[in-house]
Amino acid sequence: MKKVGEVVLLWLLILFIQNAAGEGYSPPGKPTNISCRSPEKETFTCWWKPGSDGGLPTTYALYYRKEGSQRVFECPDYKTAGKNSCFFSKNVTFVWVNYNITVVATNSRGRAFSDPVDIDVVYIVKPNPPEEVVVNVTEDKDWPFLQVSWKPPKMADTRSGWITLFYEVRLKLENKNKWEEVSAGQRKTLQIYSLRSGGTYEVQVRCKPDHGFWSEWSPSSRVKVPEYFPQERSMWILIVVFAAFILVIFIWMVYMNFHSVKRYLLPPVPGPKIKGIDKQLLKSGKSEDIFSSLVVSDFPPTTSNYEDFLVQYLEVYVPEERELIMDEGKDLQDDSFKTENSTCDNDSGRGSCDSHTLLTDKGGGDKEDGQQSDQEGSQAEADTKSQEEALEEELLACSHENLQSSNISNEKEKVKSWPSLFSPLPQYSLSPVNRPNPPKTGQQHCLSDSLFTPNSMPSYFTQPGPSTRKGFRSNYWECSFDHKQSHPLHPQSAAHEHLQAQNDLNTAHVDYMGAPLDVHVLNVRPSEYVEVQRVSVEDGVLLHPISPSQEDSRTLSHQTEDYSRVRMVNNDNGLLLLQRDAIEEEKSMCPYQEDVVSRASITPTLQNSVTGINTALPILDEMAASGYIDTATMFGLPTH
Amino acid sequence: ALCSRLSSIRAASSCTNGQTGCHFLSLANLFDRVIQHSARMHGISNDLHSEFELYFLPSKNQIGRVSRNCHTSTILTPNGKENAQRIAREELTEVILKLLVAWREPLWHFHQNMAQHREFNNFSSNKSLEMSEMVHELRRGVQKVVEKMQMLGVINSSLGNLGSPEALLASDRAEWRLMNDYDLLYCFRRDSNKIQNYLKILKCRIVPEHGC
Repeated sequence: MKKVGEVVLLWLLILFIQNAAGEGYSPPGKPTNISCRSPEKETFTCWWKPGSDGGLPTTYALYYRKEGSQRVFECPDYKTAGKNSCFFSKNVTFVWVNYNITVVATNSRGRAFSDPVDIDVVYIVKPNPPEEVVVNVTEDKDWPFLQVSWKPPKMADTRSGWITLFYEVRLKLENKNKWEEVSAGQRKTLQIYSLRSGGTYEVQVRCKPDHGFWSEWSPSSRVKVPEYFPQERSMWILIVVFAAFILVIFIWMVYMNFHSVKRYLLPPVPGPKIKGIDKQLLKSGKSEDIFSSLVVSDFPPTTSNYEDFLVQYLEVYVPEERELIMDEGKDLQDDSFKTENSTCDNDSGRGSCDSHTLLTDKGGGDKEDGQQSDQEGSQAEADTKSQEEALEEELLACSHENLQSSNISNEKEKVKSWPSLFSPLPQYSLSPVNRPNPPKTGQQHCLSDSLFTPNSMPSYFTQPGPSTRKGFRSNYWECSFDHKQSHPLHPQSAAHEHLQAQNDLNTAHVDYMGAPLDVHVLNVRPSEYVEVQRVSVEDGVLLHPISPSQEDSRTLSHQTEDYSRVRMVNNDNGLLLLQRDAIEEEKSMCPYQEDVVSRASITPTLQNSVTGINTALPILDEMAASGYIDTATMFGLPTH
Repeated sequence: ALCSRLSSIRAASSCTNGQTGCHFLSLANLFDRVIQHSARMHGISNDLHSEFELYFLPSKNQIGRVSRNCHTSTILTPNGKENAQRIAREELTEVILKLLVAWREPLWHFHQNMAQHREFNNFSSNKSLEMSEMVHELRRGVQKVVEKMQMLGVINSSLGNLGSPEALLASDRAEWRLMNDYDLLYCFRRDSNKIQNYLKILKCRIVPEHGC
């Protein structure tokens, strides 16, 4: 045991001494990264990266073996190529021979072998950069270009065909960073065009053997391009010609569409829309005539029967924001009227009264009585009754159809006809030229009826084409009634009311000139006209028919039109009453023509001949033409 | 390329001897085409060698350990510029032809082997076929050049007829059968490079005016 212990101790001591003596000394590290290059395929150089030297002076040796032989040679020249390199001269360089190279690092501690590397000189050729790079700017002042020429590196023997070199040129502007590279193949010259006037260029060239590595770039050659102006005269001529051509086309297009452009840029100003103001009279300058139409002969009202005056004034309620068109000159009537409907305001020309219907249940009874008493009996009561029934049916059918077709909800159903007809003036105040929807208006036709079945009342309506009628039926959503209210009016009752109100009622045609919706003009030939007896309740109006004789007397006295006929029965809210002259208009315009469109917005065409039209009509024509719709006036047409 | 060489030879034959420009131009042309052909052949062999190395021999160490001797090592070839310039034209031409002859059959065999291996994709299989055909065509082209040169008196006619069966038999050794595929590729890559280089040297020696 003791001996063993002594041996161990001794051994440890020796180790310790050894370590103490050689502090940190160790064998060298392995050399790495052996790479070899040949500049001309006749010699080559190998470099290695030494490892740690272990703190001791380390020497490096390169050994190589050629293929097929086990003989080991050492590097002949460690100096020529610098530190950690080995240069193989021509004598020891053999092409197409595989060299197996190893680098050994040696110091007093030991040695280290690098990993062996196999090389073949053919595949490690990296030539020197091309030499004598010359860059010239050609003398051509208008179109200068660069002429670059160079020579192959001296070492590379291309003349004997030993090496084949391919060249590449790159250039850039002096202050820029992007190089542009151009391949030059085996040539030794190159031309570069499209230079920047006044710019300074840097040019470099490099080369590569057919199998090998690219050389480094040659040093930059600088050259300055003189100022020049590219005179591309032909280009300018082309541009001018092209622009002129486009200009001509543009002018021609404007000329062709002059009117529509003008209309777009300068929309026509709407004409005056004061009821009673005659444009022609204005132009003639006779103030007396102008204002005479505005005068209401029996103003202030002398009778206590306000209902008479109400004849001249009718408010039609359009639900929600739709407004009624009121007669401007009837402000007084407005006031009196508004006592009945407290929610109306005083604006003329705007009906804002919220009378939903013109006929109400409550007033139904009264109306009935009144109407009965007033009836002059153009027809027998029996006929009337039958007509009424038929009318009821029609109205029902119509309303049903419309309800179905128009798919209007019960609650919020609007009377679409109202807006189209009674929409604010601007819509209809457009000049005739400005008809927005001629095609739409083209759909209007002298259609007469939706309320009357052909069988029941053949004499009372004109027959337009059956197709139109059909179309009208389907689109006759005017019949759709607004159920907004508690629905004082049934369709039935409404119809009933109508019937009560007039003998043969041609109710509810609406014609919609230029209406945005698909409105059809329905013209039932009016056989009798009604006038508003009174406005009984908030939402009702009492109608009574007017005898022809009454009409005549009235029409003579009133210049403005006073009688209206029921144009349409709004579902439960309203009754569209049409002014007489408008109806006259309709008559005169049947069959439907394009001109009609341009005139009053309400002018369906009647096929009846106009009779008993008073002279006031021309004025109304004008007014209607200007787009003013006066529903307040009522008048009757002679029965037919 | 062969057809163009033939046509140019016919064109050359229409020239009389007195018109030196005519002769030399056509010879230079021939040389160019042959050199192009050999360059392409070498490119293909390089590609094949790289692919083979990539797929079959991932370990780089095998390169060094190839103790092969290429079967063409018996052919003495100049392995330096001086040697290549010192050698006579006829010898150089003969070396080229010997190399081309020596490789014809091994490459054909190689292609047959590769076609059977499923690992070698179609692309490589096409290349090996093209390679073997190119060797054959190149040999015929070089022979045309030799004939042209002999006709022009550029080289004397002491050059043996290497197309003869005796020459073929003499150079045909079965040593190549002992080589594996990889060695074959390695050796042929080098030899094709030699052929290309020798042809260039030959051209610049005989017709240096054009591109040397």
